[in-house]
Amino acid sequence: MNPVMKKVLGSSVVSALTSPLSVDDYLALIDGRLSLSEPRGRVTHAVRQTPDSVTLVIEPNDNWQGHRPGQHVLLGVDLDGVRHSRCFSVASAPNEKSLEITVKRNGDGRVSNYLVDRAQRGQLVYLSPAEGEFYPEAKTAARALLLSAGSGITPVMSVLRHWITRGELHDVVFIHYARTQADMIYAAELQDLARRHGGLRVETVFTADGGERISEASLMRLVPDLGERETWLCGPAGFMDMAEPLVTAHSSAPLHREQFAATRRDSAQGEGAVQFLKSDIAASGESGSLLEVAEGAGLKPNYGCRMGICHACKCRVAEGSVRDLRTNRVREVRDTDIQLCIHAAAGDVAVEL
Amino acid sequence: MSKPTHLSKADIEAFGREIDAVRDEVKNDLGERDARYIRSILKTQRYSEVAGRALLMAGFLPPAWLSGVGLLSLSKILENMEIGHNVMHGQWDWMNDPAIDSATYDWDNTCPAHQWKHSHNYMHHTFTNIVDLDRDVGYGILRMSEDQAWRPQHLAQPLTAATLATFFQWGVALHDLEVERLGKDKTLKEAAVQAREIWAKARKQVLKDYVLFPALAGPMFAPVLAGNVTANLNRNLWSFLIIFCGHFTDEVEMFDVEETREETRGQWYLRQLLGSSNLTGSVPFHILSGHLSYQIEHHLFPDMPSHRYREVAPKIQEICERYGLNYNTGPLTKQFGGVVKRILRMSLPHRRKRNTLKPTTSTDAPVYAEAA
Repeated sequence: MNPVMKKVLGSSVVSALTSPLSVDDYLALIDGRLSLSEPRGRVTHAVRQTPDSVTLVIEPNDNWQGHRPGQHVLLGVDLDGVRHSRCFSVASAPNEKSLEITVKRNGDGRVSNYLVDRAQRGQLVYLSPAEGEFYPEAKTAARALLLSAGSGITPVMSVLRHWITRGELHDVVFIHYARTQADMIYAAELQDLARRHGGLRVETVFTADGGERISEASLMRLVPDLGERETWLCGPAGFMDMAEPLVTAHSSAPLHREQFAATRRDSAQGEGAVQFLKSDIAASGESGSLLEVAEGAGLKPNYGCRMGICHACKCRVAEGSVRDLRTNRVREVRDTDIQLCIHAAAGDVAVEL
Repeated sequence: MSKPTHLSKADIEAFGREIDAVRDEVKNDLGERDARYIRSILKTQRYSEVAGRALLMAGFLPPAWLSGVGLLSLSKILENMEIGHNVMHGQWDWMNDPAIDSATYDWDNTCPAHQWKHSHNYMHHTFTNIVDLDRDVGYGILRMSEDQAWRPQHLAQPLTAATLATFFQWGVALHDLEVERLGKDKTLKEAAVQAREIWAKARKQVLKDYVLFPALAGPMFAPVLAGNVTANLNRNLWSFLIIFCGHFTDEVEMFDVEETREETRGQWYLRQLLGSSNLTGSVPFHILSGHLSYQIEHHLFPDMPSHRYREVAPKIQEICERYGLNYNTGPLTKQFGGVVKRILRMSLPHRRKRNTLKPTTSTDAPVYAEAA
C-alpha cells in the first residue's frame, strides 16, 4: 500500500469514521490481503518438489517485518470455514522480497495436508511476525554443522542460504536424514550448492534405503571434527532426542535447536480435575491438554497454533499443578498465565475461563 | 393457549433430547457454506453503507437522499440485527476469525458490547420471560405481564412504548444500568462506572453520524445529518418492531420465579418455546430481522448460525406438533397486533390472573401443574 495512503487510512479521523468497525473491515472488500497492521500474504508459486510436500512462495503485504534466517511464522488458512494456524519455518533468505516455506504431509495435520494437496497460486494466507531464536548472530562461527531430519531441513536451509548470500560460507558440513531420496526436499538445490561452494559438504542419509539411523559411531564418522563445530539442529522430536545428547557429548561449542512441527509428545494426557472458574464447569483433566479439556467441556477459549508457539490460548490459572507437554516438567502455578495447548493438568487445576 | 399440562416430566425430557439432537446435527455440519453466508452478509452490509453515505453526499437531489437513507438504513439494520447481535451471541466463533468473534466484536449501536452480552446473552436468554428476573419483560418501564404490579404511570404506556421505539438503541444502551435497582442492591457508584462506559461508546456513533460525516460533506452538512438521523431512526423502529414481536405477542407465556426453580434442560427448552413467538415472511425479511423472526429457534439455540434457523424450523415445528405444543407463529401484522393489544391491555389495572391449574401429587405430574 502507498505509504501516504496508509498514513491517511491509519489516522484517527478515518478510524472514527469507520468506528466501531476497523479500516481493515472495509479494506477486506477490495482485497483480503490488505490490512493496516496485520501481516498477510498471497501464494505466488506452489511447487511440489516431492509427492508429499509443497514449497510455497508467498508475497507478503507491507506489514511483514521480515525474518531472520531460521525463524518460523504462524501461517493461517481458512479450511471449511474455520481459520486454522500452524507454524512453518521460513526457508528463504531474509533479504528476499517474498518468503518461502516448505510443507510436508503429516499424519493428521489438517493444515499441512491441505496445503500439500490444494494450495495454489492466489491462496490467501494469514501470517504472524517471524518468531524463534534459531538464527545465527551477525558474526558467523568459522565452522558449523547443520544437522536435520525430515521437514526439519527448512530452517536449516534458511541459515545456509543466509550464509551463502552474505558470502559467509566457510566450512560447513550439512547432514540430512530423510526416509528415501524421493522424500527429500531441496535435494537438487543442495547438490548444486555443494558443487559450487568448496566450503560446503553435504551428506544425505536415506534411512529407508539402507542408510544408518543417527548413532554416535555414524555421526563421528561423518563429522570427525564435531567438537570444533557450532551445531544447528532441527527435526522431529524423536530425532532431536537421539541427536542432541550425541552432539553435546562431543562438542562444547554452542548448540542451536529448533523444535520443529509437532513439539508435543504423543501422551497428551492429564490427571486430576480441572475447574473452569468463570463458567463454573468442572471436567476431568485426563482427556488431553487444558485446551482440549476446555473445548471438551463446551468452552471456546481462543487458540491459534495449538503447539505452543503463538500464545493465542494464553489463560490465567488461579492455582494448580500443570505439566508442560513439551518437556514433561510438572510445576505448581498460582495466578499465572499459561499456554493451554501445551499444558495438561498434573493434579487439580483452577483455570479462569 | 395456556401452559401445557398434558406432558409428564419424562415427556419434557424426551422433548429436550429431541431438541438437542437438532442442535447437534447442525453443529456437526457447520462449514464452508455457513462461512460463505456470513461473508456475503458482511459484504452487503459494508457496500450498502459505503454507497449509502456516498449518495447522501449528493443529498440535495431528493432521489439520491432517499436512496442514500435507504441503503444506510439497510446497512445499519443488517449490522445490528444479522451481524452484531448474532456475532455477539458467539454464532460465528467456530470460524476462529477475529473479525467476527464474540469476544472482540463491537456493534454500531450506542450500547457497549460487554454490557449487552450481560443484559441480553446472560440475563434475558437464561431467564427468558421470568417476571422480575428477565428485565426484557417491559425493560423496566413497560408493564407487559399481569404478574407485574400496575402503577398509574402505566396508563401512559402506549406513549412510553412509542418513545422507546423512536429511541430504541438508547433504551438498549441504558438497559444494563438497571435503574430500578439503584439504592437497593446496586450502588450509584456501580451505575456511574457503567454510565461512563455507555457514554464512551455512544459518543463514537454521535461523533461519526452527527459530526464527522456531515462535516466531511461540507455544503451538504444538513442533508447528510438528516440522512444519518433518519437511518438511525429507521433502524430503531425496525428493531423495536421485530424484538417486541419476539416475546410480547398475545399468546406468549410469562413465568414466575417459583415455577422455574430447579428447571431441567428439557424444562428450559420448553420455557424458551412458550416464551417466544415467530414471524412468517420471505427470506429477505428473515435476514433483515437478523433471523429473530425465528425467535423460537433463536431461543432454543442462541449460538447457532442464524441462517440455519430457517432450516431447523420445520423440524422444531414437527416436534412441537407431536408433543401437542403451541408453536407460536404468524405474519408481522398479526403478531404486532398482539403486541399492541398487550401494551394497551396492560396499561390498565387488572386483577392478577388466577392460576387455574390444579395441584397434583403424582410424581410424574405435569410440570406447570406442580408449580401451581
